[in-house]
Amino acid sequence: MKRELYDILCCPVCKGDLELKVTEENEVEILTGSLICHACSVTYPIEDGIPNLLPQNITS
Amino acid sequence: MRHAQKELKPDDIVLEVGTGSGYIAAHLDGCLYVVATDINPHAAIMAKLNGLNVVRTDIAAGICRIFSFVLFNPPYIPTHPEEKCDDWLEYALDGGFDGREPLRRFLLQIPEVLTPDGRILVLISSLQDFEKCEELFIKFGYFFQTIGNEILDDGEELRIYHLQK
Repeated sequence: MKRELYDILCCPVCKGDLELKVTEENEVEILTGSLICHACSVTYPIEDGIPNLLPQNITS
Repeated sequence: MRHAQKELKPDDIVLEVGTGSGYIAAHLDGCLYVVATDINPHAAIMAKLNGLNVVRTDIAAGICRIFSFVLFNPPYIPTHPEEKCDDWLEYALDGGFDGREPLRRFLLQIPEVLTPDGRILVLISSLQDFEKCEELFIKFGYFFQTIGNEILDDGEELRIYHLQK
C-alpha cells in the first residue's frame, strides 16, 4: 500500500486512528507491517502490500 | 464499465466495494482518486496487481474518507443455510437467503462514507427481485433510475441502478 492510503484508514470497529508500523517497504509502497488500534487492542496486518482490516478472529 | 466511466466526473473520489479482480475500478479514467475494497484475499491480490489502492475490509468499514462516487456489484445468488460451504467463492456469490442481504448491508453502511450529493451505481440481477430492491432504495432514502440493462441467454436480467439522495 502506498503511504497516502494510510491517511484514509481507520479501525473498522471503533473508527479510531491506527498506528502504522512498517516491517518492509520499497521505494513505492509499504509491503508488510501492521496497523494497530490501541483503543481496541487489535493489530491488523499489512501483507503483500494490502492492509487487512477484517475482524481479526475470522480471517486466515 | 462504460456506465461507470460515463458517470465519472474529473473531481470524483471513487470507492468500489467488492471490487473482485478490480477490472472496473482499474480502468476508470479521469478522476482524483480510486480506492477498492474486497473481503476476499484472492480478489484483493488480483485488484492490487491491476494497480489499485486495495483494502481488505467489509464494505467500507476500515475507511474514514468520504467519497463522491461509489460502485457496487453485490453478491446475489440466493443461498439457503444448508447450502453454505464457508469458502471464499461463497462470499463472492452468496446473497443470503433472499439474494439481497449484501445489498441491505451496503445501503446501511455506505452513508458513512458518501458525500451528501454522492452518487452510487449498483448492479442488480432479476434473481434479486427488482421491485424489492427498489423498495430497499426508497427505504434508505435514495432516488433511483435504471441507466442500463442486459438480458443474459438464460433469461436473467441485469440492471444498473443510479442512486442519489
